[in-house]
Amino acid sequence: MTEFINVGKRIPKSDAQEKVTGKAIYIQDLKIPGMLWGKILYSHHPHARILNIDTSEAEKLPGVKAVLTGYNIPTIKFGFYKDNTPLKSNKVCSYRDEVAAVAAIDPDIAEEAINLIKVEYELLPPVFDPEEAMKEGAPLIHEDHLGGKEKKPTNILNIPWKLVAGDVEEGRKNSDYVAENRFKVTWVTHCCMGTSGCIAQFDPRDNLTIYSNTQIPSLAQRDFTEALSAMGLQGKKVRLIKATIGGAFGSKLDTYPYEYIAILLAHRTRKPVKIIFSREEEFFATSPRQAAIIDIAQGCKKDGTLTFRDVRMVLDNGAYTSWGATTPSVMMMPISSLYKVPHVRYVAKCVYTNNTYSQAFRGYGNPQATFAIESQIDSLAEMAGIDPLDFRLRNANTPGEVTPQRFKVGTCGLRECIDAVAQRLDWRQNRGKRDGRGVGMASLIHVGGGARVYKSDGCGTIIKVDDFGTVNVITGATDMGQGADTVIAQIVAEELGVRIQDVVVTHTDTDICPWDVGAHASRTTFVAGNSAKMAAKKVKEQLLEVASRSLGEVPENLEIRDRMVFSKIDPEKKSPLGKVLRAAHYTTGGKMVMAEYFYDPPNENLDKEFKGNLSVTYAYGTHGVEVEVDKTTGQVNILKYIAAHDVGRAVNPMLLEGQVYGGAAMGIGYALMEQLVLNNGKVINPDFRDYKILTASDIPTIEAITIETDDPFGPFGAKGIGEPGLVPTAPAIANAIYDAIGVRIKDLPITPEKILAALKGKDSK
Amino acid sequence: MKKFDYLKPQSLEEVLSLLNQFGTKAKLIGGGTDAIVMQRQNKISPDLFISLRGIPGLDHIEGNGLLKIGAMVTHRAIEQSPLIRERFPLLSEASGLLGSVQIRNVATLGGNLCTASPSAETAPPLLVYEAEVHLISQKGERRIPLESFFLGPGETALEQKEVLKEILLQPPPPNSRGAYLKLGRRKAMDLAVVNVAVLLTLNPKTGICERARIALGAVAPTPIRVREAENIIEGNQLNDELIRKAGEMAKHTCSPISDIRASSEYRREMVGVLVEKAIRQSLT
Ligand SMILES: Cc1cc2nc3c(=O)[nH]c(=O)nc-3n(C[C@H](O)[C@H](O)[C@H](O)COP(=O)(O)OP(=O)(O)OC[C@H]3O[C@@H](n4cnc5c(N)ncnc54)[C@H](O)[C@@H]3O)c2cc1C
Repeated sequence: MTEFINVGKRIPKSDAQEKVTGKAIYIQDLKIPGMLWGKILYSHHPHARILNIDTSEAEKLPGVKAVLTGYNIPTIKFGFYKDNTPLKSNKVCSYRDEVAAVAAIDPDIAEEAINLIKVEYELLPPVFDPEEAMKEGAPLIHEDHLGGKEKKPTNILNIPWKLVAGDVEEGRKNSDYVAENRFKVTWVTHCCMGTSGCIAQFDPRDNLTIYSNTQIPSLAQRDFTEALSAMGLQGKKVRLIKATIGGAFGSKLDTYPYEYIAILLAHRTRKPVKIIFSREEEFFATSPRQAAIIDIAQGCKKDGTLTFRDVRMVLDNGAYTSWGATTPSVMMMPISSLYKVPHVRYVAKCVYTNNTYSQAFRGYGNPQATFAIESQIDSLAEMAGIDPLDFRLRNANTPGEVTPQRFKVGTCGLRECIDAVAQRLDWRQNRGKRDGRGVGMASLIHVGGGARVYKSDGCGTIIKVDDFGTVNVITGATDMGQGADTVIAQIVAEELGVRIQDVVVTHTDTDICPWDVGAHASRTTFVAGNSAKMAAKKVKEQLLEVASRSLGEVPENLEIRDRMVFSKIDPEKKSPLGKVLRAAHYTTGGKMVMAEYFYDPPNENLDKEFKGNLSVTYAYGTHGVEVEVDKTTGQVNILKYIAAHDVGRAVNPMLLEGQVYGGAAMGIGYALMEQLVLNNGKVINPDFRDYKILTASDIPTIEAITIETDDPFGPFGAKGIGEPGLVPTAPAIANAIYDAIGVRIKDLPITPEKILAALKGKDSK
Repeated sequence: MKKFDYLKPQSLEEVLSLLNQFGTKAKLIGGGTDAIVMQRQNKISPDLFISLRGIPGLDHIEGNGLLKIGAMVTHRAIEQSPLIRERFPLLSEASGLLGSVQIRNVATLGGNLCTASPSAETAPPLLVYEAEVHLISQKGERRIPLESFFLGPGETALEQKEVLKEILLQPPPPNSRGAYLKLGRRKAMDLAVVNVAVLLTLNPKTGICERARIALGAVAPTPIRVREAENIIEGNQLNDELIRKAGEMAKHTCSPISDIRASSEYRREMVGVLVEKAIRQSLT
């Protein structure tokens, strides 16, 4: 195998020092001279008609520069389904509905002004249960929303998610065992350390600059450009500048009312306006992972061969539509393609309710679907009298397979992952004792080579090399803490033969950086990495071309290593890179060494039947857990946690493990304690006291095992790893709990109370 | 958050006179880990916080027989005090489980008691040690049992202008052993779903339990002693049956509520489980 110098090395994240010393500049830290502070008034009811908004007292408060309501702003529609507006007029549909906004000279005055606004409401009957909301006669969230064949008012969104491959009825007939269950998953939220915020600023010519912590700079730029048009500012430019992002995890994959409100306030006041969320707002006014009801059936033969998988889901869409409504497109992936299953059907409905609306969250639906599939795989294995380990090995995906959704499986290390977990858990020894200790495992498939969600799945890179050998990489990618800046630098350094410290990555400004579809779908290392690698290759060709002249050697015989250009044939012929570069333009007819590359992976959009090779390659993994359950209190203690992932190649094992640790920790929270609790539509735990995430003392030792399958499409063989770390966590834990005490919890989170209740139910049977 | 002034007096006399001067407009502040949170949530809204930081005579841990702990002693200091660990280990353990090291470095014992949360970490241990609290105002000083200090959630026997000066602990009888158990959802930074302290005095010859003290937190409007359960085991040789009965009694004596952290049924159930467990641990 090739020896790499920069790839495969444990290199700390390039801004690690800034972060640990508090020097990194987050949106919270940014100030612009003359800046005002915006604040939002939210609805007091889950569903009500707005009769009157009296802003007169707020306007009189000294220091207040503007007060906006849905009645004095232009109509701006946004969101995936174009059903959201910055400020609501007519009626409110959830507690997080924005009713009015203020800009003032300091945040306290803004807050005071908000409290002076009086809103009169007429209450409307609310609906919080999606199954209720689907019924005839249920209160309508958006009265003008029509659907179904008859085009009647309905709460069911016109997004008919349906995937059919093979014939599930046939599969059912051919089954010796069939398991049928209902699973439920609830809202959990991203808990970014840095809360949401932005600063909007107009220049005298009405061009907008927005400082933001988005993970989709190019798409956000487009959204805001559309908003400017709606404001009558056609043809004006939007420049988006990212501050250091304090975590995103999917939460910043859309544009939100607060950003449009900042833009409107900035335009009204002609001053920069900053809006920063408090922690409470971050909990109740950002969009969580969606709640869903999952009905699933799977069957198998006597020998454990899977025969069919049939899944129906109802998703609580909340009152508006963000990317949460599109997560079924990703849920299809494990449903159709995790393990070999010949007959598959998946139908999902997204339903408006008066709850909070949902968004993307690491895994994008995959953790929810995998919780149901992998929990039930254990039940099915038990029915068939087969060890769940053997059951999984029997059905495991293999290289070269084409799945029912027409995914072309290339490299696939699923078997190796399952084996590694079984071995580290001493599976045969420890399973099946029912003595309060138990082991469980669950696997995953995820996109690992981009995901063609939009028409383009591309990312651009520009590389220029200066006089001193510094390599400036200007990328469309977004670093949101995951390490894109570092991994891209490693890839370029490897390709060019320079040191990692010679590479400077710029990724924060749409006026400078090329287009990219966004930091989603675990695609950045793969897509932006390939883009950077190809651009570096072009730069290298130029460098060798220039060097060949001064060294008197054909470019094919030249190589660059450790900042030195040398001949592979005649070691005497060599020159430091800096010298070659200076020679390039300190000469008549000189040239700059620079190149660009736009990489768009050869993957496919899903067709009308939701089939197609969505990703160039797929990531696999298996998590294994050993737990101990206290039967008197219902508490679960994780004794061992093994996370094995097929990553193609670990470009940076340290950052990769960081993704796995972080993913697993989030997944353990999802499994055991995290829950955004909505009581009649209202978030009643908008703080870290009652929204429980794991603390450092709760996170068990996570053993990350890396399986390298060296993917032919990946940059140096790499696949994506951003999301997989939390996909199989919850079912692995649920399966281990079952192995320990014989009760199966089918709704998340698996709390001690639920475990005790289930134990009691079992005893009384 | 409502804006407020902050005063940092130099002596207890000055504190008392400021309290007298500002009355209901002022509020004392120790570590501020409860007070500032409540101010942010608009649960309290004083114009002025009077700090107790650095005031002489409030941060001592001393005494040979009777142990005196100043109200401003932090949980970190309690957790690390060899004196407390040796003589009042349940208090040491409880303080060591409160919040996180960062919180324990600033949060005080006095603050924990004066907040009077039903789940206050240190209340059950102090109740089984039969602690007394020493209160002081310009009118004078008084000592009352901790048990009568707690009046309800957030309510204490403190008068408007009174300060908690110190907590007093008599050494328990010889051959006393106990346990403190906190049930939470996670291992740090968590309020107790239920917390239980048990202190038993066993006759080394007969093995009879001569004295029993059992206290519960988070299952009634205030932290409580459960004498009904104590009576079941006092004067008896302990066996499984009696321990189970004591747990049952504690379970039926408390009056938990349902909230976001747990249902009343679960809390009640856990009282039985934890009381039994704490008694067994005290015996080993
Ligand atoms: C993140 C976090 C985690 C926490 N975890 C726990 C936990 O696990 N268990 C637990 O029990 N608590 C916990 N708490 C609550 C809090 O830390 C404790 O109750 C702490 O002991 C309060 O002490 P303090 O000095 O900060 O009180 P302060 O906030 O300063 O004061 C609290 C109240 O007592 C009054 N007061 C303070 N000192 C005196 C005095 N000497 N005389 C009269 N009145 C006085 C104040 O006026 C105020 O009303 C936590 C708090 C936070 C923020």
